[in-house]
Amino acid sequence: MSAASISTGAHAEAHTHHDLVDEKIVRWYFITALIFLGTSMVAGILMAMQLIRHNPLNGIEIFSAGRWRMIHTNAVAYGFLANGFLGCLHWSIPRLTLQPVFNKHLSWLIYGAWQFVVGATAVGILFGEAQALEWGETPVWIDPVAQLGLLLVAINFMTPIARMKGPMYVTLWYFMAAFVWTFLTYAMGNFMPQYYVGGTSAGAVGGLFIHDLVGLFVTPLGWGLMYYFVPIILKKPIWSHGLSLVGFWGLAFFYPLQGIHHFLYTPIPMFLQYGAVVSTIAVELVVTTVVINFFGTLWGNAGVVKTNIPIRFFYTGMIYYFLTCLQCSFQVTLTFQKIIHFSDWVVGHAHMVMFGVFSMWIMGMMIHLFPRMLNRPWASQNLLEWHYWLSTIGVGFMAGDLILLGVFQGWSWAALEPWDASVDFSYPFWVLRVIAGLAMFGGLLAFAQNIRLTMQAAAKEKAVRA
Amino acid sequence: MSHPKMSNSAEAVAVSSGPSRGGRSAAWTVTIVLGILILIPSMLGFVMKFRELMAITEGGTEGGFAITPVINYLLASSGFFLLLVWAALNGMFRDLERPKYLMLENEQELDRND
Ligand code: HEM
Repeated sequence: MSAASISTGAHAEAHTHHDLVDEKIVRWYFITALIFLGTSMVAGILMAMQLIRHNPLNGIEIFSAGRWRMIHTNAVAYGFLANGFLGCLHWSIPRLTLQPVFNKHLSWLIYGAWQFVVGATAVGILFGEAQALEWGETPVWIDPVAQLGLLLVAINFMTPIARMKGPMYVTLWYFMAAFVWTFLTYAMGNFMPQYYVGGTSAGAVGGLFIHDLVGLFVTPLGWGLMYYFVPIILKKPIWSHGLSLVGFWGLAFFYPLQGIHHFLYTPIPMFLQYGAVVSTIAVELVVTTVVINFFGTLWGNAGVVKTNIPIRFFYTGMIYYFLTCLQCSFQVTLTFQKIIHFSDWVVGHAHMVMFGVFSMWIMGMMIHLFPRMLNRPWASQNLLEWHYWLSTIGVGFMAGDLILLGVFQGWSWAALEPWDASVDFSYPFWVLRVIAGLAMFGGLLAFAQNIRLTMQAAAKEKAVRA
Repeated sequence: MSHPKMSNSAEAVAVSSGPSRGGRSAAWTVTIVLGILILIPSMLGFVMKFRELMAITEGGTEGGFAITPVINYLLASSGFFLLLVWAALNGMFRDLERPKYLMLENEQELDRND
């Protein structure tokens, strides 16, 4: 350890990984996340089957398609992404701060409470208790429990960050912000439209909520984790830490204003709509800093993408990230909105970002961490390749198919053709979506099988040693 | 900015982790250019819109409506503004590149201790 680093007060000599990280909870979070991803995908496939008029559960009220759709989005956001992130946070925060979380028992309490929230949301939705708020369908009576859970998460993780000495690495800036933002965003999106504001105001708050969930919960955690995992796997520092901080502060100040870009051409005053367009353009530049930084880091080591599967997942996610953001810069213009609003373009965009980017990153981190936690390599490299290719091609196909369909639908509606006509020509595109979805699901099954084989081998080895 | 070549290989971590004052690197130039590119249009947009908001809130019912999301934004952003000032006063940005080397050193140390 260099003298310079000792002088900052933050040094790892006195610490061991096992004092800091509770690997068991990381594993539990990962496995739970994957179970919810499987559930969400089954729900997505059922919804997609409904749209091609082959719903196998037709006529059963509690399994009606509208409910599956809500299960699909809620299970993926709160069941998969949140659990996946929480697992990664339990690994990365103690290692970055050299401090354990505030309280290990609290960690387990949060784990249990969060699964209760997600499970109860699913049951609530199936039995018609959904709250009438997009992405906030969690039944009204669970909202305070979820809010309390978010507060506990913030306390548990902010304590080691606050105790840390020396200047903070960019990842911790992102995490710290994410804990505050998620708490505030959840409160704003779930309580304000329910109890305090109505009509178009509630619509505006709803728009802000949906977008802030992506931008202030998923994005800072995703970026923060990438800024941690990419350098440690490549064994080289991030290209420019200064640039990463420009990205952080840019996100902090310009992201929160852009939610209303979901509501261009609505009765919301044009003044607010233009404000959202301007801040979206600012965020496009912020995003560019992140993409430049990660590709700058890879520069000179591009071959690693072929040999290192987690890095391959990460950089595939970066490419999809660049594509979705490029798409955003078109989407945010009023000219483009005229065509694509309410069309399947948006659904294509949503899958590209949620699966193509953030899920790929989470799966990359899981692929990196499982062997470390089990102390043995993956049982099958082939299954890893299947997982990667089925996921990448599946989501690429799904997004491309729906984005193209969105343009056709928009033109058809703009030409005032009957709506039925657009449903008819959408049919083959929707069939393709089912096929792409099955491929993505196949990728997940390959991953699950690989985890099972690797865990079995680890257990066998342990038994032999004992 | 203290790392003259901003060499980002694993070996460079150990060698160049001490602060040194030298020429500007490509990364630093990109940082400044992007910083300006982001800040100028965004601040212009912000000031313009803020003036419009003031005008709107002074008359009509639209004003009351527009104020909800904007107040939300201002509340959240003022917190971050205070954090930015606090971080700057506490020397968090004195050597912008240092934390990235420190983080990798600590990671290597933890792996060695294991
Ligand atoms: C098996 C794979 C999947 C299939 C077949 C599928 C299918 C669907 C369908 C049919 C919808 C409703 C579209 C509509 O209302 O017109 C939907 C919405 C959505 N899905 Fe998926 N999905 C899959 C996987 C995923 C994954 C893994 C994620 C996230 C990681 C995801 C995120 C979303 C989101 C965010 C929406 C809402 C889009 C919007 O409201 O615009 N999906 N999906």
